[in-house]
Amino acid sequence: MRKECLIFLSIVLAICLSVVTFSSSSFAKEVAYLSLADYTGPIAGLNVPADMGLEDYIKEINAKGGVDGVKIKLIGIDTRYDTARAVSAYKRYRRDPKLLVVNSISTGIGKAIARLIERDKRLQLVPGDGEFQAHLGRTFIWGPAYQDAFAANLDWIMDDWKARGKSGTPVVGFVNWDNPFGRELLRGGKEYAEKLRIKLLPPEFFPPGTLKHDVYLTRLAEAGANYIHAGGVDPTPTNVIRDAYALGLTKKIQFTTGYWGPTALGLSIHAKKLEGIVNYSFFLRGEEARENKVVTDLWKKYRGSLDKFNGVYGMGMAWGMTYVAGLKAALKAVGYEKLKGDDMYKAYQRITGFERAGVQGPCAYAPDSRRGSLKIKMYQVKNGKIVPISGWRKTPDAVSLHKF
Amino acid sequence: MRPCGVFDKSYALDIAIIRTWQHWVILISALILLYLFPLFGSYYLISFINSLAITVIVVLGLQIVSGYCGQISFGQDAFMAIGAYTSAILTIKLGFPFWIALPLSGIVAGAIGIIGGAPSLRIKGMYLAMATIAIHFVVIWLILHLEITGSFKGLYPLPPSLGGFEFDTDERMYYIIMTTMVIMTYAARNLIRTKVGRAFVAIRDNDLAGEVMGVNLYYYKLLSFFIACFYAGIAGSLWAHLITVVNSEQFTLMHALEYIGMLIIGGMGSIPGVFFGVLFIRILNEVVMFTSPVLAGALPWLGTSPAAALGLTAFGLAVVIFLIFEPRGLAHRWEIFKASYRLYPFAY
Repeated sequence: MRKECLIFLSIVLAICLSVVTFSSSSFAKEVAYLSLADYTGPIAGLNVPADMGLEDYIKEINAKGGVDGVKIKLIGIDTRYDTARAVSAYKRYRRDPKLLVVNSISTGIGKAIARLIERDKRLQLVPGDGEFQAHLGRTFIWGPAYQDAFAANLDWIMDDWKARGKSGTPVVGFVNWDNPFGRELLRGGKEYAEKLRIKLLPPEFFPPGTLKHDVYLTRLAEAGANYIHAGGVDPTPTNVIRDAYALGLTKKIQFTTGYWGPTALGLSIHAKKLEGIVNYSFFLRGEEARENKVVTDLWKKYRGSLDKFNGVYGMGMAWGMTYVAGLKAALKAVGYEKLKGDDMYKAYQRITGFERAGVQGPCAYAPDSRRGSLKIKMYQVKNGKIVPISGWRKTPDAVSLHKF
Repeated sequence: MRPCGVFDKSYALDIAIIRTWQHWVILISALILLYLFPLFGSYYLISFINSLAITVIVVLGLQIVSGYCGQISFGQDAFMAIGAYTSAILTIKLGFPFWIALPLSGIVAGAIGIIGGAPSLRIKGMYLAMATIAIHFVVIWLILHLEITGSFKGLYPLPPSLGGFEFDTDERMYYIIMTTMVIMTYAARNLIRTKVGRAFVAIRDNDLAGEVMGVNLYYYKLLSFFIACFYAGIAGSLWAHLITVVNSEQFTLMHALEYIGMLIIGGMGSIPGVFFGVLFIRILNEVVMFTSPVLAGALPWLGTSPAAALGLTAFGLAVVIFLIFEPRGLAHRWEIFKASYRLYPFAY
């Protein structure tokens, strides 16, 4: 027993030593990107494929010699969607002057770290909280703000309503997670609905992790909803539609979903039940993402067959492209030696209009804009596939309609 | 077990926490080291110790209600949230200074804890655990829906200040957090030697026997909940002013489960056990969290997210191995160690 223990300990020690040896071999010129992501918690279904895209893109850039000779180090931390863990992780790395960007993949975590970011004169990325557009600071959002995209969804609903030959305005239901993210869409989205004279039913909220949504859906259906927007991060939107299908509501009501679902994951499980649902996205999804050569070439190179391909991978690549564009601009302005987080913050505001291989609309970061882009596309599930039903549509400014 | 050659010659010595001059030397040296640490410790270590100390305060409270009084509670993180929000509301909306808000947060959390502890009068064990889980969800729901708590937007408390001096960095907050932790530990250590502490232990070991001996179950069970929630409230207040933002997503049931795990690993019914449990879990968590990027860097074929999952597996494995080989907690191992060196060269 003692001998076996010694052998086991020796193996563990050998692994640790080899890891330390490998990790200590750092590059002469290197900058860091800290990803505070949820790899094993409730939104891992979104975070894992997104960070895979980012990781592969950075690998590719480094393999080609980096950005003007500067290599990028991706530090991926598993926060498990826990604010305390994320704050602790940020504090671990915040004194690194070459840490240029922090991607906080959660509204709550982004808010917790925002003050530290301001103090450290660095740049933070968060999913889509419009508050960061309303109060301009060092926190930037990935695409259009949640409320802007929801407003664009309402525009599409109006068009669809008219296309169906209906008069007046439709009744729209809203069901989402009962947390800051779930409620964010209505901060400006509600005012936009009023502007369009759309009757928005009292919103239904449920705790993240809820498995059955019948009660919320039934209430909205009984209130006369013509359209229902189902929020949350996949698998939640998939599960909501699954329940709506079981209740027979998908035949009578048009369901729409947002940025985070359904993804390829949900589609692989409930393709039949998701048939006909509409989805809006600021990055390419489904078949369109599969047809984007830049995205699929990278996937094939690092991940092999496209069988398990997820469109969210492209979004992660777009983060990488934006980072590289920002880094180029920052290096041009101050050079590597003087490069700090503040220079990257300034550089991100100068890459307005930067194109990301068509994966996402043109970059909209500017001195007066924290939005990653201003366009979304509408998709629909048809024959078990996510296909586009519109071109890029401009998102209205719903953030400015709300008093933050 | 007494150290070799140390005899209790008086009642005072019998109940003393610090028995020998060596103990005093160790204690004073440790305190000096603790307070001088920010002068030479790295920023990251200081910030880590801050969060460690806040967790120690929360788990000390849980040790009192669960480890000593035998009432299982999964509501500790919710009461920490109550403390955090109370402190934020008192300082932001009512203009109270932090120094007043800190104890008041504990009192408010304790008072609400009495309501939360009320089911313990009728139910025990897993049933009580379920009731406290319900309390957690009710508290978080209320936080998310009340206007006074800032609803889903949360609140932004400011760092404490004293005479114009702002405790706005981790290094500065360290002194407040450490002092509070030392006081709370001393209070907890003393509490268990009092009549109240003995009543708690009597309830834990056999509540019916305790009642027959004159222990008022109604009073002492609620008192244990009050004290536990008071501790959680104090920790919540410290957390709120350290991080300067509070929202409902910061307080999860996972934390409450982790606190129970810390008690089991450290040792139920032991104050040093709280420190062992918190240190073990938090250090393991931290090692796992920071080993993943190193692993991903050293083994690129593994990828970032699988490396993180590997870390999580290592964490689970460590806990399972630990539970198999030392189910009575690290505090028990510590007791064996102390006994062996005190009786050296004889076997314990």
